Parts: sequence; C-alpha cells; structure tokens
Amino acid sequence: MKIFDNPDLYDGESPNVFYKKLLDQVPDLIFKIRWDVETGKFGIIFLSESIKDLYEIPQDVFLTDPHHFFYDRMFPEDAAAFIASLKESREKLAKWDHIYRLQLPEKGLRWMRVTANPELTAKGSVVFYGRATDITDHKEKEARLHISEERFNYALRAASEGIWDWDMKTNVVYFSAQLMKILGKKEVEAYFPNTFWLSRIHPDDAYTYDKSKTDYFKKRNASYESIYRILTDQGKYRWVLSRGRVVSYDENGKPERSIGTLKDINQLKEKEVELGNTINIIVSQNNRLNNFAHIVSHNLRSHASNLKMLLDLFKTADEAEREEMLQHLEAISDGLSITISHLKELVEIQTEIKTVREKLNLRHYLKNILNILHNEIKKHNVDIEINIPLDVTVDYNPAYLESILLNFTTNAIKYSSPERKPMLSYDFEIIEGQKVLSISDNGLGIDLKKHKNSLFGMYKTFHKNQNARGIGLFITKNQVEAMGGKIEVSSELNKGTTFKVYFDEEN
Amino acid sequence: MKKISNLYVIDDDKIYHFLLKNLFKQNGIDVASTFFVNGSDAIEHIKSNNNEETLPDLILLDVNMPIMNGWQFLEEFGKISSELIKKPTIYMISSSNNEVDINKSKEFDGAVKGYFLKPICKEDLDLIFV
Repeated sequence: MKIFDNPDLYDGESPNVFYKKLLDQVPDLIFKIRWDVETGKFGIIFLSESIKDLYEIPQDVFLTDPHHFFYDRMFPEDAAAFIASLKESREKLAKWDHIYRLQLPEKGLRWMRVTANPELTAKGSVVFYGRATDITDHKEKEARLHISEERFNYALRAASEGIWDWDMKTNVVYFSAQLMKILGKKEVEAYFPNTFWLSRIHPDDAYTYDKSKTDYFKKRNASYESIYRILTDQGKYRWVLSRGRVVSYDENGKPERSIGTLKDINQLKEKEVELGNTINIIVSQNNRLNNFAHIVSHNLRSHASNLKMLLDLFKTADEAEREEMLQHLEAISDGLSITISHLKELVEIQTEIKTVREKLNLRHYLKNILNILHNEIKKHNVDIEINIPLDVTVDYNPAYLESILLNFTTNAIKYSSPERKPMLSYDFEIIEGQKVLSISDNGLGIDLKKHKNSLFGMYKTFHKNQNARGIGLFITKNQVEAMGGKIEVSSELNKGTTFKVYFDEEN
Repeated sequence: MKKISNLYVIDDDKIYHFLLKNLFKQNGIDVASTFFVNGSDAIEHIKSNNNEETLPDLILLDVNMPIMNGWQFLEEFGKISSELIKKPTIYMISSSNNEVDINKSKEFDGAVKGYFLKPICKEDLDLIFV
C-alpha cells in the first residue's frame, strides 16, 4: 500500500514561505554573515527569528545594532576570545567552533556554542553559514558529573578505599589508583587478570575469601563482604576489607560484572589483635588469681576447720582419746606448714616476674637434673633419650628452669607404667620462631577429655598414687607463664604423655 | 522419718575421718560408717554391694578430691542410681566457700539435699540426722 505520493517540492507555496516555516522549526539560531574583503568588516546578512528566544534581543534590533550583542549580552571576559576565534576561522577558512557565555536579562547565565563553515567568494570576501546552540543544560550536567566525580574521588581517598571492577567474562579486573597504593604500588590505576589478586591473598585466609564469594553468588548473603590479608609489594601482608556486588548479569542470569571497594583496615585489625592478646593476659592472670583464692579458700580453710573440730572434741575427750588427738594435731600442723610453703612459692612466682633471666644452656641444665635424679632413674630402669643440640640456650630464670625440668622428669617417672620399660625423651625444636622443649613418656597417660581443664589446677591428682600431691604441675605452669611462655599437653591413656614447654624469647 | 543406719563418708582428708568419728561418738550418733578417700572408690563399692544391708542411707560428700571429685561422683552416681535398691540422702560437706561450688550443688536438684561448710559442728549434725 502506498502512503506517500510525490507532490511538487513547494506544494504550491512560495519558496520563501516554505523555507521560513521550515526554519521556524529549528530552535537554534541560524545565520549568514559576511566578511567584506574591501572594508575588512563583518556584516550580518541573515538571522533566524529564534534570536529573540536565545539572546533575548528582537531580530530587528540586533540587525540594526549588532554591537548591542557584545555590550549587553555576552560575558565581557568571553568577547575577545569570541572575536579571535572568528578571525582565525576566517583567515584559515577552517570551521568556526566556539563556546561562550551570555548573561541574559531573564534567563541569566547561558552557555552557547557557535559553529559555522566559512566560504571564500570569488572576490575574496568570506561568507559564514552557521548556527548557535544553547548548550547550558549539557554544560550543567557536565559540571554536576564533574563535581560528583570529584566528591567520590575525595571521599574514597579520605576513607583510604580503592575500587575494583571485575569483568567476569574476560576475568580482567580494573584496580583504581588508590587500590594500587594499598598494594604498595605506584598510585596509578591498572588492569590485571583476576589471578593476580588471588595469588596475593594470604594462604590462611583463602578459605574465608572463597566462602564469602560463594555465599554471595549463591544468594546466601545480600552483598559480598570479606576480610583478609593481601600481600603488598613490600612483602608484607595487610588486612583489607573488600565489599562489592554484581552489577550486571547476562541473559542466562550469570553474573558478568562486579564492582566493589577495598579498604585498608590494617591498623584497626592490628589493634584488635593487640586487644585480644591483652585480654588473654588478663584472663590468664585472673585464672592465677582464682587458683590463688582457691588455695586460700580450700586448703587453709580445711586445716583451720580440722583444727577447730579437733579443739572442740578435745574439750570433752578422755585421756586416751586426747593422746590420739595430739598426734593428729601434729599432722594438721604439718599440713598447714606445707600449704603455707606452697603459698609462699606461688606468691614469689607472681611477684618476681621481673626476676633475672640468664642465658642458660638447656642441655647442660637437663644433665644436671638427671644427675640429681640419678637414683630414681636407676631404680625404675628408665631409658632416657636427649635430642637437644649442644649449643641451644634459653633466656630463663635458672631456678625456674631447674624446677620445671625436675617436675616433668619426676612426674614422668612417678607415673610410669608398670607394664613396660619406662622411656623418657627430651626433644628440642623451633615452632613458629619459638624455642620448644617436648618431654615425652610412655607412662600411664592422662584422660584429657576428663581432666583437661583441671590438669594444671591446684591439688589435682588423677592417679591412685600415694605420692601425688597435685601441686607440681600447677607451680610449673605458673613458672612457665611468668616467663611469658606456655605449656601444651597431649596424652593417651596407657600410651604416654607429651608436655611441650614454649620458652618465650621476645621479652 | 527414715532411720539412718548406714553412712558413707567420701572425703580425702584422713584427719577429717578421725574427727568425724569422734564427733559422732561424742554426740551419741550410732551409725555404721564407711570411709572413702575419693569418689571413684565409693562408686566401685556401691556398684558391687547393691543390697539393703550395705548400701548407705546417707552420704556425706566432699567437693575437692583427687581422682574423682564430688561433682564427678554425683554424675557417676546419677547414672547408676536407678538400679540401686536404696536411694540415699546426699549432703555435701566442703571447706570450699566458693559461690560457684555452693550454687553448683543446687544444680543437682533433688540429688543433693544440702551444702555444709567445714568445720562441722553438733548443730549441723542435728540438722543432718533429724
């Protein structure tokens, strides 16, 4: 079906009317100006009526006095450049393209852009056909964008955050300049394959990193957020907080682009770790205090109450009974003395934290202890193995080191299994920079499930052994901790026990 | 009131054993007392003597003991109590005035009738042996 036919071009109108009506549809100012080669001056030949809207000058006023435009409408600062650009275009016969500002009585500040093509006439004059467009809206948008971009950049910089933009189709990631700075690189934005980032994540954090990613992709979390350590160019790890989300999905619902931020939270995290350490110290001190309160509460009280009961009974007892009671009185007195000496030992450990440390040869000290225990070792026919290099030294209090070695050794002999030949081995190793001595036996073992919490408590014994007093491990633990170290234990019933003594070297 | 004829004392303090015996004697309390130095010994004894004559009517239990303390004893005892032909009254007697211990005895609701602090005196015995 035919919608259009082909009528005469002007459709019966005069060409003037026809073109005027067409031009009225154009919001831009359309003009023709001429530069006369003889006078060396410009003259306006044609101006469309839109001059009234755009410049707020009636067409006829402008045509009679074009200078009005310069004095009354144009920004004075812009006039010189305007004229210069027009001249240049005329001389070079290059396209005139210039942006300038107007100050209008009603609309106020407007941005304008003029473009025109110069044509050289046969006589040497130049004619411009062109238009001027109001570009204020465009300019304002540009300015707003510029401001918001600036605001964004400053905010990110102040928050020490970088930006990443991950193209998941190509697996290439954009890293902002700030992010590169966090990595210790030059502060210039860059593109890297995704593997570049993955290879820098601390191995211990790889799991949590992967998990937070999958949790987000599987929609278990509304947004992606992960805290982990990243390797910097200086070879050190820094804690960072990464946040982001998928911004576009392909037609199959597969994510294809993710954007997010990366924040350096190293200082915060280090403070957190420091705080955690402080809390640990407080907790262990509190435990020691509790134990101390316990010994006072339980042990002194038990002697005191026995004494009280004994004296009450003594009053009404007959001669024979009194004789027996006196013997018990002696036992109470002995018990009290022992408890008080334990108490004294403990108080000394707590208060002598700054006691002298000396460089002590570990192997040498152990040999001394084994000499002291020579008779016991021979009696029980204990096999002893020592794997300590000759030159190993520890910075320790000599009395504590003796006491610790003595305690673990006597314990191992005391709780050896009657079913097999006792074996005792001392092994030295370095674990994460800390000197560690392991003391292993093949004795009775301890049921750690049952006794783990009370193992190092005061007056805890786990074996039916007459000599068990339950004070040794408690004192030993206090001494090791007072020196800044720790004790670890592993044990299996009827197989043996290993105690690991960590010597603190940092203080 | 239930007649108390059999008594178990579970406490690692041998002097206390002696003192308690004398306190009973001076106050004219006539019971067959068996003494244990830890919870484990007492549990073993109870397990192998599940009869009317030997099972206790009353248990005086200490808290802090080696090998098996008072709390561990109560746990073990709870496991076997349904098989016992007698249900003894249990009092805890300890020199621990620790709030934690005193409150913990209340957790063994029903099993532990009371908590006494050492030293034990005549008035305490009156309450226990009413």
